Amino acid sequence: MKLLNKTIRPFLVYSLTVLLITIPILYFVVQSVLLEAVDKSLRIQLREIRSNVDAINSEQELAAWSKLDKDIVLEPIDHPSKDSIYTAYRFTGEHHKTESEPYREISGSIKFAGKLYNLLICSSLVESDDLLGSILTVQVIFVLLLMGGLLWINRKISQKAWKPFYNALNNMQQYELNKNTNLPFQESDTDEFNELNQSVRHLHNRNYQIYIQQKEFTENASHEMQTPLAIFQSKLELLMQTSPLSESQATIIGDLENANQRLIRLNKSLLLLSKIENNQYPETESVDVNSSIKKIIAQYQLHAEARGIRIQTSFRTNLNIRANTTLVEILVSNLISNAIRHNNEEKQVFINIEEGQLIVKNTGTHSALSEEKMFHRFQKGTNSDNGDSIGLGLAIAKKICEMYSFKIEYKFSDDCHEFTVTF
Amino acid sequence: MKILVVEDEKDLLESIVTYLKTENYVCDTAADYKTARQKVESFDYDCILLDVTLPDGNGLRLLEELKVEKKTDGVIIISARNSVDDRIRGLNTGADDYLVKPFHLSELNARIAAVIRRRRFEGNKVIVLNELTIDLDARTILIHNKNVDLTRKEYDLLLYLAYNKNRVLSKNAIAEHLSDNEVEIFDNFDVIYTHMKNLKRKLHGAGCKDYIKSIYGMGYKLEIEV
Repeated sequence: MKLLNKTIRPFLVYSLTVLLITIPILYFVVQSVLLEAVDKSLRIQLREIRSNVDAINSEQELAAWSKLDKDIVLEPIDHPSKDSIYTAYRFTGEHHKTESEPYREISGSIKFAGKLYNLLICSSLVESDDLLGSILTVQVIFVLLLMGGLLWINRKISQKAWKPFYNALNNMQQYELNKNTNLPFQESDTDEFNELNQSVRHLHNRNYQIYIQQKEFTENASHEMQTPLAIFQSKLELLMQTSPLSESQATIIGDLENANQRLIRLNKSLLLLSKIENNQYPETESVDVNSSIKKIIAQYQLHAEARGIRIQTSFRTNLNIRANTTLVEILVSNLISNAIRHNNEEKQVFINIEEGQLIVKNTGTHSALSEEKMFHRFQKGTNSDNGDSIGLGLAIAKKICEMYSFKIEYKFSDDCHEFTVTF
Repeated sequence: MKILVVEDEKDLLESIVTYLKTENYVCDTAADYKTARQKVESFDYDCILLDVTLPDGNGLRLLEELKVEKKTDGVIIISARNSVDDRIRGLNTGADDYLVKPFHLSELNARIAAVIRRRRFEGNKVIVLNELTIDLDARTILIHNKNVDLTRKEYDLLLYLAYNKNRVLSKNAIAEHLSDNEVEIFDNFDVIYTHMKNLKRKLHGAGCKDYIKSIYGMGYKLEIEV
């Protein structure tokens, strides 16, 4: 949910609740006030009739008077009744023959010429209901206007107040640690935002320092490791030149050299992996994958030939992607060298380019490999004769794919191990 | 032939000098930028091996100064940094070659020989080993003055052995050299066996003595008394 909506929503919910509660309350309050007024006037009427009834001279006159006013009903009774006031619904028979209308009625006994009569005075409530309706309508319109206005003003103020925040957010989203060195922040007249900007700037500076240190560490590690490796290598070579050397001594020196070469390759691969992780290949350009593949195949031709492996290519389309050339070549090279290394007596490697895809397929062990594990570091093939593998090739390939959001998938089909990179 | 080795790591410096001395090079050494500068100002070298990371400065600066002073010394950068940027920068500044640590001494030796050959204008366009003559310009070989047809890899292999004659070359060094130092090489040395077998067969067929010896457990050696 957006921040602006988040702040406005409770207001909206609160206003609506209050509105929904106040409308029935208002209705009942206004209704009872109106009813009270009607009751009061009815009681006054009854009292006045009682006190002025003596002005009438005869029973005929009384009957005539009661007929003249249709709101008055006069009936003779035997026992005096108490005064009562109530609401009744009656068919008036005038405009709405089918609908009943509400009436407020008061009934009480009066004495005239020694006889008891029940007097009923009624007053229509239709006008009071209309008034109630109008009051409520006006009220609802007023509340809605008020609420809408408040929400609108709140939104405008929020938008303006949060603007520096959104600017800062936008800046941070577009920011890449290895590219810019400072974050452009807008000064704001809100203290909190200035504090936020300051904190982010501080955090960024620290991260940048750590990033630089890490970069330096990678470089230092490279230098520090490679120097002793280089010394060891050079001393071994000098040792090889000494004589006499017995066969067993020569074998030991040869084995030492093989081990050292592996150590050197391992160190190089680890460095490469950490460099990719540290985003130290930021330059991207348009890479012609087809020609990169051709170049890599040419480099591996020697090794493939030596093992009698046939590399077949099928380029259906010309694949151009935006990435770092070095990394794309490493990716392709790792897949192809794996296909050569982990091959079997069938000695087949297929490299296909389809629309947006690179597929490297090879014959090898007759069972599928664990896709889950293969991309982890130091996961080596199960074949004992693949002892020269250092188990970082696919981890590096995966890392490169992650960096550019390429998809790398493994499949075992038709007795072939198949790697698909979707660009 | 005079060579200056600029390298701050004493052990590595010693190894390089020891290896190069048997090649009849005169070796000068410098362990820091200051010494290197003084030596470069006072003498002319056929080749300078230059470490990039020195305790008191960047080796590339020395390269820039050489360029300003229009010195024609050949320069091979030896660096622990294997990044494309550094390589390009080094070569653009005027280095002749760029070798990443750790390297094989035999590879370094071959590169030095190649740089010196390219830098010198007169003579030494051929390497003569008794009945075997390698024509460096034409990239061909003659045995008893008769042309022998070699593939590019076989020629590279022979030249590598010749540059490092009478030295044991490890299989790793040969495999790496043949792979152009670009690709990850395999521990399995099928690559060398095939090319070595073919090369030996061709040399023998043309009447060349069997100079290339297989050294048990380690590698190969071109053994020759000239």
